Amino acid sequence: MAPLQKRALISLLMGLALAIALIVVFVTRDINTFATDLGFRLIVYALWIGVPVVYLLLINLTRLSKLKQVDERDKLIKDRAPKIQWLSVIFSLAAWYVILNEVYWEKGQIPVVYLTLIFISTLVISSLAESLGILIGYWRMNRHG
Amino acid sequence: MGRIKNRIRRLRFDHDEMTQEELANRAGCTRQTIIALEQGKYVPSIELAFRVAKVFGVALEEVFQYEDSREK
Repeated sequence: MAPLQKRALISLLMGLALAIALIVVFVTRDINTFATDLGFRLIVYALWIGVPVVYLLLINLTRLSKLKQVDERDKLIKDRAPKIQWLSVIFSLAAWYVILNEVYWEKGQIPVVYLTLIFISTLVISSLAESLGILIGYWRMNRHG
Repeated sequence: MGRIKNRIRRLRFDHDEMTQEELANRAGCTRQTIIALEQGKYVPSIELAFRVAKVFGVALEEVFQYEDSREK
């Protein structure tokens, strides 16, 4: 396994663990208390900030080329990863749009907390999808060349 | 559409059974890239192709050959 591939896998797994923890926190707590419960907000902030931080530390901020861990093939794969990232973000936003429309259309308004949720989910999905894009890039190159 | 073949595996063995790791270190790439090159699953940049040829001390054409499918 190439060093960048290994780092992308670790980043994806750690990011998924944080994302699942985030979902668990939202499911177990009352979403309507988000604005009033400081503890709830701090846990959520720590979890969602963790996902891009893990990605940045493992993949973007570490000077992999200096450590001789990436070469032109790795860079090519990394440069293609944003395609997956872009598609994932678009589909997640489309999902939010459809779900919120279907659920809240009758009421004519949506709770403000969803703005935060949309932002958090977009950032988390964007980070996870780039790691996933790198892994897919390696898989495709090993399979098809 | 053509295909680029290479003789890297053959040349490694002709050079005292040079390991993929050693070739990678000397050519400035990762071992995984050498594996992908030998399996024909990656076409290198011109620069990397020259560096690989330089490690073996041969001309580029002795390492990489272009096979034009339209000629068949």
